[in-house]
Amino acid sequence: MTGPSGIRLDTVSRSFKGRGTTVQALDNVSLDCPAGSFTALIGPSGCGKSTLLRLALGLDQADSGEVSIAGLAPMDAARAGMTGVAFQDAALMPWRSVEDNIALPLDVLGQPRRDNAAKIASLIDLVGLAGFEKALPGELSGGMRQRVAIARSLVTNPQVLFLDEPFGALDQILRRQMNVELQRIWIASRATTLLVTHGIDEAVFLADRVAVMQSKPGRITRIIDIPLMRPRGPDVFTSAEFHRLEDEIAGALNGH
Amino acid sequence: MATETIAARGSSLRTWLVLLIIWEICGRLQLIASGALPAPSSILMRLWIDRADYPPHILATLEGAGVGFLIGNGIAVAAGVLFALFPMAARLGRGVNIALFALPAIAISPLLVLTFSDMTPRIILAAIGCYFVTMSSTVTGISQTDQRMIEVIRAYGGGRWKILVLAQMRSALPAILSGLRIAAPNAVLGSILAEFGGGGRYGLGVYLIGSLGRAEPDRLWGIGLAATLIAGLAYAVFSLIALRFTGATKAVTVPATAPGGATMSWPLWLRLLLSTGSVVIPIALWWLLLIAMGTPAMIAKTPLGLFEYLFLQPNSQASQMKLLAALGQTLPLTIAGMALGIAFAFGLALMSVLRPGIIRGFMPVALVTQTMPLVALTPLLVLILGRGPSLILWITISVTFFPAFVTMAQGLSMVPRAALDVPRAYGASLFTQLRLVSVPASLPYLFAATRLAVPRALLGVMIAEWLATGTGLGNLLNQSRGYLDYGMIWAVAVVSVLLSVVFYQCVVLIERPVLARRGMRAAQ
Repeated sequence: MTGPSGIRLDTVSRSFKGRGTTVQALDNVSLDCPAGSFTALIGPSGCGKSTLLRLALGLDQADSGEVSIAGLAPMDAARAGMTGVAFQDAALMPWRSVEDNIALPLDVLGQPRRDNAAKIASLIDLVGLAGFEKALPGELSGGMRQRVAIARSLVTNPQVLFLDEPFGALDQILRRQMNVELQRIWIASRATTLLVTHGIDEAVFLADRVAVMQSKPGRITRIIDIPLMRPRGPDVFTSAEFHRLEDEIAGALNGH
Repeated sequence: MATETIAARGSSLRTWLVLLIIWEICGRLQLIASGALPAPSSILMRLWIDRADYPPHILATLEGAGVGFLIGNGIAVAAGVLFALFPMAARLGRGVNIALFALPAIAISPLLVLTFSDMTPRIILAAIGCYFVTMSSTVTGISQTDQRMIEVIRAYGGGRWKILVLAQMRSALPAILSGLRIAAPNAVLGSILAEFGGGGRYGLGVYLIGSLGRAEPDRLWGIGLAATLIAGLAYAVFSLIALRFTGATKAVTVPATAPGGATMSWPLWLRLLLSTGSVVIPIALWWLLLIAMGTPAMIAKTPLGLFEYLFLQPNSQASQMKLLAALGQTLPLTIAGMALGIAFAFGLALMSVLRPGIIRGFMPVALVTQTMPLVALTPLLVLILGRGPSLILWITISVTFFPAFVTMAQGLSMVPRAALDVPRAYGASLFTQLRLVSVPASLPYLFAATRLAVPRALLGVMIAEWLATGTGLGNLLNQSRGYLDYGMIWAVAVVSVLLSVVFYQCVVLIERPVLARRGMRAAQ
């Protein structure tokens, strides 16, 4: 069931050759994210999470299988301005101010910045960087840079949002705050979201479903539904159901 | 910090004062080379006496250099963008690029003066002097763009043009500016070299040639100083602009993603075709240009005419012997000068990190050796060093090390702070940091610097041979000019270009596997 803005991977394989070895990064991976759903992708390092994301973004081509975003090829969806992305590494342009970095997707898509000035200002507010509009990335802390990257991912009002460990560099307290904030934003926008993460708690808190991956070869081994009610408040983190789900995912990660 | 800077400035100022005083004493007492090195005070006095002569000469040189600078760099940046975006164009253009770079200005200056009139020869030589440096630093800058930024733009569906406009051009800016800052003195030198070839009443080169025979070292030095000042100012302006941009462009973290992009996996037939093309294109251009300009066949030798001159005419045997004998004298010195010049540049680049104070003091001296026309320096150097091989080596080093040094220092200064923090956290000394991080991280720049230095070494040897020692290819060129032996002038020019290309290719052959093993890409 691919809705108008779903993410769909159909038996996708991708291998890399390097220095005499071949790594099967993804082996016949299928994943269906219905429109408006929030899917978390969790797995050990090197299990192909990032490769999967790059394929969905159109940054890389699959050896076989098919990837579609809202029924379109990934690149076409990107050109239509339907997607948003925040990378694990903030990947900001060092010569652009916070404001200008957030506006980068608009520049790429050729959308006038004037019409979006209010949007940019509210995003800066949202990620708690008010007062830093004119600062350069070199003057910010790692966490602040990451928040700029998240604001940037939201500037186009994306229908499909890709988040590659966006809070990996943040401290636990800020991370929980950002998780709550992200949920709020997501409920408001209902963008189809694919979150790559290392944090089990983050995955359970945010996602409708958690896809657990294993490496060698990279594949999805289990998909666990998260039946927690929304909106989920900070108290969810301490509930018994939350811990049970965490344990289930931890078990799946260990191959049970 | 601020006090340190002031203290460093104070100490380099002191060094300069001391040097100036020693110079004054040597000049007054005629200690060096019996008066070839006049005292600064007498040079200044002479400048004052001649002050009315200077403005038209300076203006004329500025005009030739300035127009050439604009045209040469305009073409260079456009070509650099083209080559960076289309590897195939880079492969095809390689022959023309290296030929333009290796083109001995002294060899073509008389040919240009015979063919064109007025300012044109100066503009052409100034433009040629700028082209290669700026073109190759544009390519380097663009191809070293942080891959992560490119990914972000691509993730939003941005194509080649968006990537170029939003990321690559801006991140190449410091590299381009550092190219321009070498190109600026080159343009002045190019114009002056063309002025030596004759044509026009005004220009510092004309003035210098006119004053050469009159045994007035103080005037020669005055003209040299004026030329140096112009070139130095041009260099300083671009240094200041570059400083303004480099800080903002430095990446905050080290990109972990391997530099991707198009890996050269072309089929063999295509590679052969491109290589052949890159050799054929410069020859075709040479031919076409001569036809287009309608230069008389006596002066302008086409490739065919040159072949005839070297192999088919009755005195071809003698010409070949002369050429080979000259080559035998020039080659060993070129290789030695090249190695010394690069080693010196590398040492200086390391020093610029280890002891920035010393480099700050030394830079003006280095700049003087670059911009002071060798013609003005040569009488002095000859008297100090004699007319032997050591003179050639010194001149070669002095023309080789500067561009190599600037490129190497640029590479070292682009190393991200975060990368240095790791060894620093383990208490690594500055030297260890250099060995473990800075030097490996700036390897593409080190190789680019070497490629830059290689053809210049040959040029340096030839200049020294022409002006001082009367040996080798440089002398052959000079003699043939006197005998109006145009065939030989062309032969020497072509042979020297070919030699440069061979040296250049040798560096590329070493560079490719070394960088590939480290997962780096060559800075074109």
